[in-house]
Amino acid sequence: MDKVFLCKVSDLAENEVKKIDNSEHGDIAVYNLGGQYYATADLCTHATASLAEGDVEDDLIVCPVHWGQFHIPTGKAMGFPCEIDLRTYPVEVEGDEIYALVEAADAALIAKG
Amino acid sequence: MSNIIKTVDVTDSLENLSEFCDIENGRISGKIFSDKAIYEQELEKIFARCWLFVAHESQIPKTGDYITTTMGEDEVIVVRQKDGGIKVFLNACPHRGNKVCFAESGSTRGFICNYHGWSFNTAGNLVGQHESGIYEASDFDKSKWGLKEVAQVDSWKGLVFATFDPEAPTLKEYLGPMTWYLDALFDNQEGGTEFAGGCIRSTYECNWKIAAENFVGDILHAGWTHDSAARAMLGGAVAKVSDFEESYSVNWNGHGYEFALDTVGNVAVLGESALNKYVHTIKPSVAERLGEFRSNMVASVSSCTIFPNFSFLAGQNTIRVWQPRGPNKIELFSWVLVNKSAPDDIKEKWRKGAMMTFSPTGVFEMDDGENWEYCTKTSKGKVTGAQDLYIGLGMNTLERQTDLPGNVYKGQLNEANARAYYQHWYDHLNAKSWSEIPDRNVGKAEVE
Repeated sequence: MDKVFLCKVSDLAENEVKKIDNSEHGDIAVYNLGGQYYATADLCTHATASLAEGDVEDDLIVCPVHWGQFHIPTGKAMGFPCEIDLRTYPVEVEGDEIYALVEAADAALIAKG
Repeated sequence: MSNIIKTVDVTDSLENLSEFCDIENGRISGKIFSDKAIYEQELEKIFARCWLFVAHESQIPKTGDYITTTMGEDEVIVVRQKDGGIKVFLNACPHRGNKVCFAESGSTRGFICNYHGWSFNTAGNLVGQHESGIYEASDFDKSKWGLKEVAQVDSWKGLVFATFDPEAPTLKEYLGPMTWYLDALFDNQEGGTEFAGGCIRSTYECNWKIAAENFVGDILHAGWTHDSAARAMLGGAVAKVSDFEESYSVNWNGHGYEFALDTVGNVAVLGESALNKYVHTIKPSVAERLGEFRSNMVASVSSCTIFPNFSFLAGQNTIRVWQPRGPNKIELFSWVLVNKSAPDDIKEKWRKGAMMTFSPTGVFEMDDGENWEYCTKTSKGKVTGAQDLYIGLGMNTLERQTDLPGNVYKGQLNEANARAYYQHWYDHLNAKSWSEIPDRNVGKAEVE
């Protein structure tokens, strides 16, 4: 289990999403939903798209390319054309810092474009 | 930035243009309604150059709301942006040119092309494609391949206009003092106006200028052409315009508004007494807002065209664009305008009244369509089209002593606006750019 630093609490406004580059595990998207923090894979499970470029609507992230949707807390695919769920990561907040807990790389879980 | 549209090359003007249009002598040639070479010149020197009406703000209130329409024969998408602004794009994918939006209106996160899956956000930026990885391998710069954005977009009191020409004057300069008159319909109550219902579309086999010219200043036809329709709706003849003590034809930059000061002559033909009553009820507040003179114009016997193809009737509240589809065909897009502050039942009565009179099944529209189609058809005759047409009514009626803005002519039974319209048409076809268009305005540019 890797503990990956994502960003500072002060750098992520409410209902915002941010992309964190990570070559080892795949890029991670970190979200602030009303003060609750979540992390998912940043790459859409449908096509090559960075979810962090999409819009947060309630607890859904809307992919900027084909407008498929995922439930941020669970990663569940919620809207056409996304059918494969998104990988999620447990999040820990320590003081002003947000971390994701990432299982050692499991290739099958990293979505392919 | 790089998604700004490429302007078309401006070709030379037709050498024999002056044969078709001799305004000083009150004549035009029938050929201007059917000649293919003239039509091609119009697409390039008028429709790719002038400010064209594309939408009413009320059609696209929220982020992502859009409508599709055309500028000349070019299909465009008009879409509300996240920052509240409005952008207008060519409705064509920059990859193979396929149409990217097929609906007439809606609300969306963006536009995805059916062909290769190019996906654009509402700001027109290309955000992805099917198999996007292969583009990256080709050093593809997607920031350069968004939807092509028209050169200028601006709005005036809810009316959104766009132009393909980056050199075009501002919309304010383009409309000039005509806005003073337009206020009588578009700004007579707090809150402004909105469209009631959707876009009504129909086609006519007529030249676009015949329709535009009818609205720029031809009330003369109404008493004759529409006699039976008026009797059906009103139970009597159309108001005899020559009986009006005071009426005007006003123009500027080819736009024209002809009007009487009888307050309700136009709305009366909808046959809904509640609408006449509404106009009378708001009149004192209109007088307070715009002055006595314009409070008499809210729904009076009148018509207007903003050059080249945007027209309306205050009172019937039909708003329309005569979309050119070749020299002998138009697609008419029309809408019904109401005050936002009007009661719901009044809005609904206006919508129905306009449908009864000025829609594809409207009793007045039928009368006009027949005439306009035959004005066009006869001009296709080789010999007939070469003949002169008279356009000389009301020569020497310019009002030099007036406080009213614009080029003001006495009386609405007058072809002064039609002459100014065709003169401006000629001036555009004769010019390679805006700077070559002569300023023929003689009246006041500002309201005193």
